[in-house]
Amino acid sequence: MSQPQAKEPIISLRNVSKTFQGKKVIDNLSLDIFPGETFIIMGCSGSGKSTTLRLMNGTIEPDEGKVLIKNKDIYNISEEELNEIKKRFGMLFQYSALLDSLTVEENIALPLQEHAKLAEEIVNIIIKMKLSLVGLRGYEKYYPSQISGGMRKRVGLARAIALDPDIVFYDEPTSGLDPVVGGVIDKLIKDLSSKLLITSVVVTHDMQSVFAIADRIAMVHKGQIIEIGTPDQIRNSKNPFIQQFINGRPEGPIDFFKEDIGVIGDFGL
Amino acid sequence: MVSHIGKVVIEYLGWLRGVLSLFLNVLYWLFFGSFKGKAAQRKGIFQQMVFVGLRSVVLVFFVDFFTGIVLAMQTAYQLEKMGAVIYVASLVAISLCRELSPVLTGLVVAGRAGSAIAAELGSMKVTEQVEALDTMSISPTRYLCVSRFLALLVMMPCLVILGNISGIFGGFLVGTGSLNINPDLYMQTTFKHLALKDIYIGLLKAGVFGVIIALISCYEGLNTKGGAEGVGRATTRSVVASFISIILADCIITAIFYFSKT
Repeated sequence: MSQPQAKEPIISLRNVSKTFQGKKVIDNLSLDIFPGETFIIMGCSGSGKSTTLRLMNGTIEPDEGKVLIKNKDIYNISEEELNEIKKRFGMLFQYSALLDSLTVEENIALPLQEHAKLAEEIVNIIIKMKLSLVGLRGYEKYYPSQISGGMRKRVGLARAIALDPDIVFYDEPTSGLDPVVGGVIDKLIKDLSSKLLITSVVVTHDMQSVFAIADRIAMVHKGQIIEIGTPDQIRNSKNPFIQQFINGRPEGPIDFFKEDIGVIGDFGL
Repeated sequence: MVSHIGKVVIEYLGWLRGVLSLFLNVLYWLFFGSFKGKAAQRKGIFQQMVFVGLRSVVLVFFVDFFTGIVLAMQTAYQLEKMGAVIYVASLVAISLCRELSPVLTGLVVAGRAGSAIAAELGSMKVTEQVEALDTMSISPTRYLCVSRFLALLVMMPCLVILGNISGIFGGFLVGTGSLNINPDLYMQTTFKHLALKDIYIGLLKAGVFGVIIALISCYEGLNTKGGAEGVGRATTRSVVASFISIILADCIITAIFYFSKT
């Protein structure tokens, strides 16, 4: 990515905080995401990365701070305006979140039928196009329960891009998938960004996929951003948190399991 | 103790507010949604009508049929002493149409369809399907609740009419078979005392119960928290809350008609 800072950010979080049941999950977090880039938010489970994503896609309102999308404060506009902005989003959920009662093609058709006044033939053509993009032609009539987890993810991706969005949010796109399917999903994300110029925001802790697709990476810990940088900058970072995270070492400044490890030590294991 | 009671009351008021705001939301989408070109899908409404209505037919038939039989036998036991066995016919008809058929049908539908709705929406909620609708800027209320609301509102009165008929039929079998009332006389007595108003009141109750079941089960489903356990909890809560609300609403409506009569 050449000089992303020169552009106007498409998404920016300004001093955002969010508290759930007395626990501060997001603590004064600010970041900018630029058009066309693949931005990765990584961090441990419970670090607040999924919440950050939900602050951006309009499902969780922050307690403090602003979330700007295309320079609009999305929690300070009418619901109709927010819905208009949401129509330019796509989101891939961790467990795909396809509607069980609809077939694959009906799932992909749903956003098209709801928001685009298109003739049925055109909707069918779009469904076919999106399904071939994710390599699932021929599965139109299947129900989500009849296909594998990896296929569901790909259908979810096809649904997310059905309306040709500007921004796609990915919540742990490769979790629970085998490495090959994970690689396929990574490639799809990368292709979408480069071919369709979609801005991708990916939440993940799968390090392989992080370095495969990222333009920039933000490391989140305890609701704060520790560092933002390109994959090389992150890989060579001197920050002990980041080194512990990307190398997956149990010992280090991230101390979720310190007590457990202590117990194991006591038992002499 | 006082703080505990206060907490329960506040929780209950919050629940009530949630259900009422869902009601307003459903009404909004029902009436204004069509003007925005966002009417509920016809296919979904018919699917729900088949599910809550048609699939409950056998259940409702048998519940009301046996209730009619029991009612006839119980009242005959008392009326025989006064030599007024013939009034079994009108008593069965009126108490079924005004009271028993709507309430029993309401309870049966709440147990069968209401719990299923809560469980379905609850599992959609915990598997992020509701959130997915929301991020696609499709209102979950419109997409999921309006069709169920309409289906219950329309099908409950239909089921109650069926219940009335099957209950009267059950009473008829006892009256003619065991109490030796002439079949013609039985039916004549039934319709002589059964006013149209009795049936209307029953149908009004049915409609109200349908609304109650739809709102409570949708609300509980959409507010499910946690995984499988949460879905179970939502299902139970929806049935319990529907039962209590149905009986309470029945009490209020009966009281209104009872006192307004004089």
